[in-house]
This record gives sequence, C-alpha cells and structure tokens, in this order.
Amino acid sequence: MLNSISAELLLLRKRPSTWVLLGLWTLLAANFGYIFSYVAYLNGSGDSVRPLADMLPSRLVATLLEGYPFFGGVIVLILGVLTFGGEYGWGTLKTVYTQGPKRSQVLAAKIIALGIVLTSFVIVPFLVGALLSYGIALREDEAIDWPSVSVIARGLAAGWFLMVVWAAFGAVLAVLSRGTALAIGLGILYGLVIEGLLSAFVNDISVLRPVTEAFLRSNGYSLVEPLGLATEQVRGNGPGAFRGPYVSGLQAFSVLAAYFGAFVVLTGFVLRKQEVA
Amino acid sequence: MDFETLTPPTLVGQSRGDTGSNALIIETEGLTKRYGERVIAVEDLDLRVRRGEVYGFLGANGAGKTTTLRMLLGLIRPTSGSVRVLGEPPGSPEGLAHIGALVETPAFYPYLSGWDNLRVLALHAGTQQNRIPIVLEQVDLADRAGDAFKTYSLGMKQRLGVAAALLKDPELLILDEPTNGLDPAGMSEMRDLIKNFGRDNRTVLLSSHLMAEVEQICDRVGVIHSGKLIAEGTVDDLRGQGGLRVRAHPLDEARRIASQLDGVGEVQVLDDDTLRIAIDPADASWLNRQLIGAGIEVSEIYREKASLEAVFLGLTKNGGDNDVE
Repeated sequence: MLNSISAELLLLRKRPSTWVLLGLWTLLAANFGYIFSYVAYLNGSGDSVRPLADMLPSRLVATLLEGYPFFGGVIVLILGVLTFGGEYGWGTLKTVYTQGPKRSQVLAAKIIALGIVLTSFVIVPFLVGALLSYGIALREDEAIDWPSVSVIARGLAAGWFLMVVWAAFGAVLAVLSRGTALAIGLGILYGLVIEGLLSAFVNDISVLRPVTEAFLRSNGYSLVEPLGLATEQVRGNGPGAFRGPYVSGLQAFSVLAAYFGAFVVLTGFVLRKQEVA
Repeated sequence: MDFETLTPPTLVGQSRGDTGSNALIIETEGLTKRYGERVIAVEDLDLRVRRGEVYGFLGANGAGKTTTLRMLLGLIRPTSGSVRVLGEPPGSPEGLAHIGALVETPAFYPYLSGWDNLRVLALHAGTQQNRIPIVLEQVDLADRAGDAFKTYSLGMKQRLGVAAALLKDPELLILDEPTNGLDPAGMSEMRDLIKNFGRDNRTVLLSSHLMAEVEQICDRVGVIHSGKLIAEGTVDDLRGQGGLRVRAHPLDEARRIASQLDGVGEVQVLDDDTLRIAIDPADASWLNRQLIGAGIEVSEIYREKASLEAVFLGLTKNGGDNDVE
C-alpha cells in the first residue's frame, strides 16, 4: 500500500498541472484576500472596499478561509478530476491494473496521495497570506498580532478538509464520466450554477432552504464561519457569494464528512465494477 | 460481479505449483463475451496454453484476440465461461504478480520519463526498482530512459510497453502485437527477445495478425475468427502434410496413373507439365518409382507446403471448416 501511495505521489508531484493549480489558487487567494483588496482600500471608497482590519495578521485565518469553500474548492475539484480522469484519457488504468495492485488499493493510494498534496494547497496560500498581511501591517503601521496557534491549526485543518471534499467530488465525476473534460465542466457547472443560483434565491424562496443547507457551499462556509469569517464580505464574493443559510459547525462537518465518504465509496464502487477497455 | 473477487463458476486447470511440462498456464472453458444482444466479441472459447510454450494467438483485426486477452487479465468480465490463469482467477493480484502484459497500444503517463513510468509501475507491482535498468537494457531503451514518454516514437513506446511487461520477471508474458511500429531490425530483436523468454520453462501468449512472426516464434498456434477458436495446433499441424509437385511427361498419362495409386489423394494439373499430388511427402521416392515403372518421364519432384498465410486465409474464409485438431 505504501508503495502505491509513493507511486501516486510521484505522479502528482511530477504532473505540471498540480503546480499550475497550486500557483493559480495561491495567486487567487493572495489577490482577492490582500492585493486587490489593499489596492482598492488605498484607491477607493464605497461599500465594496474591504476594511483594513481584514488584511492584518490578526484576521489571517478568517480572510484566507473565505476562498476555500468555493474558489479553492473548484480548483482542487479540477485536481481531483485530473488525478482520476487522466487515467482514462491516457489508457493507463490497464497498465497499472495489470501490474497487480487491487483496484481498491489504487483508489486508496490516489485519495491518500491527493490528501497529502492538498496540504500544500493550504500551507502555501497561508504562508503567502501571512507575508502579505505582515507587509500591509508594516506599511500601515498597524499592530502585528497573529491569531493563536489553535486558530491557525483549526483554520489549516478546515481549509484542508474542504479541499479534500471537493477533490473527492472531482474524483467521482471523473470515474463516472470516464475522463476529464465532462467532469470538469459538470463540476464547475454544479458549483457555479446549481449551488450558486439556488443559494442566491434562498432568502426569497423559503422552500429552497433545506436544499441549500445540504450544499457543499453552505456547509463549507458554515464550517469556517466560527473562525471569524466576514459573512458580510462573503455576501459580495462574486461567483462564490453566499448569503446563508449557515448551519452549525458540527452539522457542517458531519455533512461534509458524509459527502466525502459517499464520494469515495461511489468512486471505489465504480472503479471496481468498471471494465477497462 | 466484482473485479476483485472475480471467481469463475468452475475451477479448471492446475495450480501455479504444478511445474509439469504439460501444466496448463492458461485454460478457458466456454469463454464468451457479449456486448448487448447482438455483438458477440468472443464465443465459447476453449483455450489451453501449456507451460513453457510460445503460443501464437492468430486472428484478423476484430477477431476477438484483444478482448480475450483483456478477459485473461481481468480487465473485462466474461459474459459466461470460466478462466484460470496460472491457476488463479483472472485479475487476481496473486496471478498478476507472475504475469507481464502488453495489451493493445502501450499506455503510459506522457509527462513522465520512461524511467519514471516504470518506477510508478514497479511501485504498484511491489517490484524491486533494480529491475528497471535491466528491462530497459533488454528492450534497448536505456539511452532514452530519461526522456518524457510523449517524445517517444511509436517503436520506442512499444519497447517501453514490453519493458513494463518484463518488469516483474514474469512466468507468463502476454503480448498483443508487440512488434507494432518497430522497424525491421527492431522486429527481429523483439522476436529474439520473445523466443529467448520462451525458453527456461516460461510461457508466452503472443497475439498477432502477422503470419511470419507467428511462424518464426511460436510452438503452437490458435486461430480465432469472429470470436471463435477455429483451429489449434503446431505451425506444421496447421500447414498440414502438404503434398508433392511432379513434372512429368506425358502429363495426362501421369495423372491417370497417379490417381490410381493407393495413398494418393487429389491429383491436380497445374500447368502444361506439372501435377500437384496430395500424398505424404515421405512417399516421394515410392511415387517416383511407380511413375517411372509405368513409362512416365519424371524430371522433377519437390515437396509443397501451404504457407501459414494461405492456411489462415482458407480457415477464416471457411469459418473453421478446416479444423486441424
């Protein structure tokens, strides 16, 4: 099993798209959390300008976590799709399977390797965010108060957990569609259109509330909300906007964990049953 | 049915522990693969490959060769019938640990080098990494091992596919058109590699539509047509006893006399001075004596054997009426 994990880590590590997606996500997190916000703060005025306090080290965890429930999620959904779906496009499943590992072993190795790689999708943006918030605090002559170690650890764990759930969503889409293109399209369509649109109408159409409470977006934002999420800011977060409803942190964790379990079980079921042409 | 617990309804064949020279390494009974109601890719296939032989699996494109190989490797499920490979159900890790396979086109990760591709496979197989340089050397790819797979020519990709199949130093090698894309020198090297592998009590199942390749390499041959095994035997079995060509004068008289002899089958006139006589070639001198004794001038007698290609075309045209076993 450890050997298969090493193999999958090698595949992810040497795959250019892993680094492209990590770079893209880090850039997005840095821009929307700090760079664009700070430029807007310096130049502009009005409702959309983020308060300086959000860009200071004390709000590091809350500010960065704003992007994980949707933007970061969609990016690692692509990584999940590529990890599983690429095997169909290249026909490499038959090459791997004929080497003798159980299909469940290949699945577990891929999921564990993804989980390991996804730690970098949390740590790197946090390091960049910390640097930027530190720079802004210095420039603005503000106090440099970092969040407690416990809050940072919970923030990293929550961010990682959200990433893993979205990546598993990508995995199941990839094995169901036996490829990458349709899976990425469906994943983004679901995140943007279905969750996005229904969430936007939830305050006007009450019957949608129980449906939206089950969404990845709703539970994702609810999971990070106790860590100081600026809910007002999230309301205007473009495609990732979320106006509620928020559920309890425990409920959010339970629902997301159930999603993760369901995605992995379904992926495993499909992989075991699928014929390899 | 589940790929990880794929167990055929009946256990046939012998276990891997049976090392007798006639031990069956691959045995299928009534193996059938249907796609929907109308498409029958493989039908009622009884295939027996013995330990230590190079078995040629001959068939035209679309005959069902690759589908059969996929079923042997557990990549696809049979609709019905039973399969044992090395005494194990197809696709079981215990069996696959001793099987090397190249099925259809070689498939690898394009962004990885040849070396890293083999590294990934060795890790999945639990094979020692020190096998990698050995197999790369065997397929003459060591010089380009560090280059990305996507930069390889078709022939180099094929070599890497064979290297991957050899990685586990397997007991059974299953190769599907292994000389595809190779230049003549590469084809010759590949044939030597397969022949050498076939020694030392190891077994090769070679799927091909290249008659010359099969003729040169294989101990036994099975011919598949429209999903059915229509003939099986040694190359000589398949080609049959053949016959004799005789240049004689006068031809009509020679034909009349030959037709009356015991042990002689059909006698055909080929041209102005040559007959084709269906007779055991070992009886050539006896036939010669009979003709000369009857006053016929015989200027030439030589053995005639059908080419494997002619036999194959005849078999597949008749749909298996010429079964040799």
